[in-house]
Amino acid sequence: MNTRARVLVTVAAALLLGGVAVGYTTLSAAPEPDVVSGVVRGSRLQVLGNGRLSVVSRTDPSGPREVTEERCDRAYAAGGTIACLRPVGALKAGGLSVLDSSRRELTTLPLTGFPNRARVSASGRMVAWTVFVDGHSYAANGFSTSTGILDVRTGDLVRSLEEFSVGGAAAQAADRNFWGVTFTADDNRFYATMSTGGHRYLVEGDFAARTVKALVDNVECPSLSPDGKRIAYKAAVNGDPRQGWRLSTMDLGTGTVTPLAETRSVDDQPAWLDDHTVAYGMQRSDGVNDVWAVPADATGSPTLLVPEANSPAPL
Amino acid sequence: MSGRRASLAVVAVGVLTATALSIVVTSDGLPAAAAATTTFTPSADTYVDNSATGTNYGASGQLGVDDSPVKRLFLRFTVSGVPGSVTAAKLRLHTDDVSGAQSPSGGTFKAVSDTTWSETGVTWNNQPAIDGPTLGSLGAVSRNAWYEVDVTSYVTGNGTFGFGVTSSSTDGADFDSRETGSATAPQLVLTTGATTTTSAPAGDPVLVGAGDISNSGSGDSATAALLDNIPGTVFTTGDNVYDSGTTTEFNNYYNPTWGRHKARTRPSPGNHDYNTSGATGYYGYFGTQAGPSGQGYYSYDLGNWHIVSLNSNISTAAGSAQETWLRNDLAANTKPCTAAYWHHPLFTSGANHAPSTSTRPLFQALYDHNADVVLWGHNHQYERFAPQNPSGALDTTRGIRTFVAGMGGASHYSFGTIRPNSEVRNSDTYGVLKLTLHANSFDWQFVPEAGKSFTDSGTTACH
Repeated sequence: MNTRARVLVTVAAALLLGGVAVGYTTLSAAPEPDVVSGVVRGSRLQVLGNGRLSVVSRTDPSGPREVTEERCDRAYAAGGTIACLRPVGALKAGGLSVLDSSRRELTTLPLTGFPNRARVSASGRMVAWTVFVDGHSYAANGFSTSTGILDVRTGDLVRSLEEFSVGGAAAQAADRNFWGVTFTADDNRFYATMSTGGHRYLVEGDFAARTVKALVDNVECPSLSPDGKRIAYKAAVNGDPRQGWRLSTMDLGTGTVTPLAETRSVDDQPAWLDDHTVAYGMQRSDGVNDVWAVPADATGSPTLLVPEANSPAPL
Repeated sequence: MSGRRASLAVVAVGVLTATALSIVVTSDGLPAAAAATTTFTPSADTYVDNSATGTNYGASGQLGVDDSPVKRLFLRFTVSGVPGSVTAAKLRLHTDDVSGAQSPSGGTFKAVSDTTWSETGVTWNNQPAIDGPTLGSLGAVSRNAWYEVDVTSYVTGNGTFGFGVTSSSTDGADFDSRETGSATAPQLVLTTGATTTTSAPAGDPVLVGAGDISNSGSGDSATAALLDNIPGTVFTTGDNVYDSGTTTEFNNYYNPTWGRHKARTRPSPGNHDYNTSGATGYYGYFGTQAGPSGQGYYSYDLGNWHIVSLNSNISTAAGSAQETWLRNDLAANTKPCTAAYWHHPLFTSGANHAPSTSTRPLFQALYDHNADVVLWGHNHQYERFAPQNPSGALDTTRGIRTFVAGMGGASHYSFGTIRPNSEVRNSDTYGVLKLTLHANSFDWQFVPEAGKSFTDSGTTACH
């Protein structure tokens, strides 16, 4: 066993022990109210409202909002698990917090870098994140990202996908960056973006086997549809991120690419609201974000879903 | 749901309503030198409820004020473009046209100094303090009617104004929010007099500039063209050239653009200038304009102002050579107003660079010596903060107003989570920040590149 592997096992063991300890305190504490059962009724959407974890109604996004005290720079939720990338504070580094649906913290993981993407598998078992380590923009030269995956059930932790062996088109590439993980229903396979040599590949990964395989070029921040048949993603215009990104979908069976009706540049990992609609954040010039939605089949037009919010996740 | 009919359209709703016989229209289309009324609708309005402490009602059409459950109403108005002094200011609210909107008390109205709360984020748990003086109160209100409170003592000109309304009646009132549309939205009606057409005394010094300026793109040309028409001293808040701070970059990118104004420029260096070891490209290009070569910090005076240019690329720690120099320099200063600038921001909402807390000792020294304004760059965008103390708390007594002026020409960055006390932001317009340095105050103005309309202006008194 090499040093890196030993460190990983130690971290995983520490996470497991942490999980046990947290479970014990949770059982012995008085039950807390479940915030998501508040005034927001019916079909709900988790969003961030200027960095605060919030819950809004999907059918009445202009109705009351539950605004929690949890601060995240990026968040996602699925299957009763909330992934929250904590802001980098003045005195402490940022990191990943995994919360249950009542916002009880199950585990934390310190991370170095600026929060950027977060995703949870549909079952709530697998959590992935991306932070910027150097540089700050996917449109710039010379940035570097760090993307990891945590199995919340077993504590199995991969701090960086750069540890995985690479097959397919870019097997020999030395300089690799990963971002934007999305999980399949088996809680093992996933899709992500791998950048190398000026190309941004869609890769398919196998968490247990610690492998990724490059599939096609010019796919960033994939998001797998609930039925597992398509990804929504951002495609660099003319293959050049400096020209912006077109929100698109790709049929994984046929490879058919469909640019969606949103023609503004979208720099986000989209979220599927159902098998026909994707949601994404757009920033105004004053720094306020809005969540928009657009049909996943090139029809229709973008609609404002939740004003003054980003990081959408259907609950 | 809330009513939409206004039974008493007492005041015509519009951007501008003239009440005087003559209007002098200036080149920017705003009336001057004549009494007029200007009506503003809120930039944010909502209420909080102590029976649902984590709930936000920002998108609601109603504004509730009540004592059981306790509901408090918050309003914020951004007043801009008012040409003269304000001779009268009325806050007007319309009660909802629903059963129960009426109340024995329309509430007590106070000023709120925190003007940076978020309409879709404020809840009972995180509500701003209603900390200002009482402006007035309303007696019994009936449904579907207009009511007004005289707020002349508070709203005296351009600026951002917050209001908080509370009620001691357990039978609360419900007003219409801005979401109900212009016929029933709250209004701030300002009457402006003809008294202040006197322009600022000519000859007050101007300090104008930006940071994050020159590369192979065209943004630096657009901002240099603005300088061509603005006299005064030019400041830079670092990253004068990209990417490497070489002499070649200064000659090829900076010199043909901002270099036209080199003789009146007092720069500061950024991390990209220091990508050349020792920033020798920077010091070589600017020469004595940049202070002692290789040191990067120096000061000078403009009129009633003391100006300090600092270097955030070297040690800024308490007790460092630079911080010690700064404290001595400020102690020796006899000017009543002080400005400072450097590259890395202590306060910023930018998504790309976190606040540079290592610069806090510089800010602390300036705060200890009652400095008035600090300018930064590094994040490629414009952001204005309210006066704050070194910990970032709102401080309306001794706080220092700060700006990130990183819109000099390098392509824009986006914003992350918006920090407390951030008042104005922009990430799509290149421009320069113009400070007019009066004897005991300063005016700020964001001057946009040709073809763009974003602007921002105001006045802050010296301490």
